[in-house]
Amino acid sequence: MAKLVEMRKISKSFSSVRVLSDVDFEVDSGEVLALCGENGAGKSTLMKILAAVIKSDSGEIFIEGNKVPKHVTAMDMQMLGISMIHQELNLMDHLTVAQNIFLTREPLKKTGIINFKKMNEDASKLLALLGQSDIKPTDLVNGLKIAQKQMVEIAKATSFHVKVLIMDEPTSMLTSKETDILFDLIQRLSSDGIGIIYISHRLKEIKQICNRVTVLRDGAFIVTRKVSDVSEQDIANYMVGREIKTSCAGNFNGPDDIVIELKNVSDALLKNVSIKIRRGEIVGFSGLVGAGRSELMEYIFGLRKVEEGEIYINGKIAGIRTPVDAIHYGIGFATEDRQKTGVIVGMNISENINLIDQVKSKGFINHSKNRAKNTGIMIEKLNVKCASQTQLLSNLSGGNQQKIVLSKWLLVDSDILILDEPTRGIDVGAREEIYSIINELSMNGKTIIIVSSDLTEVLCICQRIIVMHEGAVIAELTGENRNEEKIMSYATNSAASGGK
Amino acid sequence: MSKAKRIMKDLWSQYSIVFVILAMFVVLAVLTGGRFSRFSNIMTIFRNASTIGIIALGMTFVVISGGIDLSSGPVMATAGLVLVYMQGSGKFPLPLCMLAAVLVAGVFGLVNGVIITKAKVPPFIVTLAVGIIARSITMYIGGGATISGDKTDDLFKSIGNGSILKIPTPFIIFIVLAVILTLLLTKTKYGTFVRAVGCNENAAAYSGIRVDRIKIWTYVLSSVCVGVAGIIEISRMVAVSSTVTGSGYEFDAITAVLVGGTSLAGGRGTVYGTVIGSILLYFVNNMMIQMDISTYLTGAVKGGVIMLAVLFQARSRK
Repeated sequence: MAKLVEMRKISKSFSSVRVLSDVDFEVDSGEVLALCGENGAGKSTLMKILAAVIKSDSGEIFIEGNKVPKHVTAMDMQMLGISMIHQELNLMDHLTVAQNIFLTREPLKKTGIINFKKMNEDASKLLALLGQSDIKPTDLVNGLKIAQKQMVEIAKATSFHVKVLIMDEPTSMLTSKETDILFDLIQRLSSDGIGIIYISHRLKEIKQICNRVTVLRDGAFIVTRKVSDVSEQDIANYMVGREIKTSCAGNFNGPDDIVIELKNVSDALLKNVSIKIRRGEIVGFSGLVGAGRSELMEYIFGLRKVEEGEIYINGKIAGIRTPVDAIHYGIGFATEDRQKTGVIVGMNISENINLIDQVKSKGFINHSKNRAKNTGIMIEKLNVKCASQTQLLSNLSGGNQQKIVLSKWLLVDSDILILDEPTRGIDVGAREEIYSIINELSMNGKTIIIVSSDLTEVLCICQRIIVMHEGAVIAELTGENRNEEKIMSYATNSAASGGK
Repeated sequence: MSKAKRIMKDLWSQYSIVFVILAMFVVLAVLTGGRFSRFSNIMTIFRNASTIGIIALGMTFVVISGGIDLSSGPVMATAGLVLVYMQGSGKFPLPLCMLAAVLVAGVFGLVNGVIITKAKVPPFIVTLAVGIIARSITMYIGGGATISGDKTDDLFKSIGNGSILKIPTPFIIFIVLAVILTLLLTKTKYGTFVRAVGCNENAAAYSGIRVDRIKIWTYVLSSVCVGVAGIIEISRMVAVSSTVTGSGYEFDAITAVLVGGTSLAGGRGTVYGTVIGSILLYFVNNMMIQMDISTYLTGAVKGGVIMLAVLFQARSRK
């Protein structure tokens, strides 16, 4: 029997850079296939070629044994049953759910006017089939949560009688509960015979829901294995082409030298948060989305006002009202949204790295010699892969952009670094490098605060884990107490209510 | 791609506007039988281009920071009115009159900037409204008429009409300002921060840049340039028409900025591009006159040139 989808000898170059060379790829119906590889390995490009968002230079695609003609559009591909859910969801924020699902295919009345009644009914049916009855077809998309938006995308895909559903990093923005719902749905769709291509950096998820895994490296096909036959470590090794070591953080054993202390921070969302963090300590903040972690960090960095509470830096009360104040107190903040608040993609590497140094230093003139020197040091120290110092940030991969964010703060010698989702969307190799930078900083007496929804990450690098629930600190875990079950039970507050 | 070809492409992408202007120069010189390329004619173009050019210099900063300033024309009329009243009264020394004009303009810029940043109203709306208000105040004070100053003041008249070493004084002022602002944009922190704000306001704020302050200063800078341009414009006739002076200048200035390669989306642009853009606009004007083409058609040709210039840049950026 013919495979559901077969791609043969796909090659693609962007300007002179070869991103895919003679890649073979196939998916069976009813399977969940993981597509793995480091950033820049060509996963997204391959999938965009399959979805006809971009064209390949050479190669052939077969769907159920039939050759797909050379010049098809993304719409044709959707009609043929190939739908892709992009990482940055492609919905129109100001249209309703139903309008989004049936965009360009709106049911019409005889008069040529859109039949909204039918459209909403059809949308409602689709959503009900996915078990998403709480999303109303008439809701505006911009009022939905990210997980719900994703469901709308899936509903849109199923409205095309989807045969292959490509999901690019679908869980990167979801809470673990939402992830569970998504996984249930994926299982159901695959048991209906739909082939699912699942792109993710989270190897654990791959072990959990995928049947087979295909690994790409540097634009070439490496291997396809049954997931049950390989370990997470094996997959990671295939991806980077060498052995990687993962180590787990020990307990903090430095002196009891409190660098930053929060006292009774309270407002509408935060409830009486008091925390002490020591010099050189790596502290992780865990919790569900909405637990108040990001809000707390925004408060520390002067981006948010609270009704009550104080910050003490090195034992003295600190009046931090703006990011400028925070920076002068030696606080750095690498935000979770790299593109929006981390780097300036329209400026070059040197300008980005030196930005905060320029804010902090005195004088009006910027000294280009100093800038070049500093940039050189940082590029070398953090092993940034780039062509030159004047390369635009938009041409760097996610991992390298994240290193630029870190170097901005390292250059001004920040004492306290807040890292919000430091490795989101970053490949295994770069992730390891970032972890080792964090460890080195901690050795040198820098205090690191990590907010991450990736439990493996928190467990791997944090010496102490603070769990928040509905705006309050509910647990502090160290040593043996650090494990996923404990974190999750506190984060969902099941442990606390059981204990009381 | 061969090396020579790549170098050509780089040159083109950076200096396409210069090539366009050179090509136009040659074509025009031939078409007008040499009249166009006469030194005196070129100097006339430079003189005329300076007013819009100086406004466009300030506008460049506003546009790079991601904003726009639609109040320039009316603010120039208001500043000009203050200037002719003070100069005509004979009670104030000339430098004080000129300083007052620049200050009045600067205050409008401050108002623009403060409302835009503190009340978070889009710049398009704020500067449009401030422009309408400025024009209205000017017409009210001037009674809708043309107000003249002291026309016997030769020193004042020499600002707009004079030349130094055969180069028009306004053009010298224009170029000096352009050099200063180039240094401001490329060699100072302020310049870097303006670009950072224009590229990504959020990331700039998270990096500790005082975004509001940076933006307010771009509007003040823009208006100060308008004040300077006003002095030059008014000194040519020593008169202000409360209804007509400066009318539509903001759009000519924005056109010059865009033709000069500055992106309306913010974050990218150069001062020298704006200088060339301004001159290019007046090349077109002058060509129409030299070739005896109806002045009613100037707009059509100008529009075409804008489209072509921007199209070339969009093409070469790919």
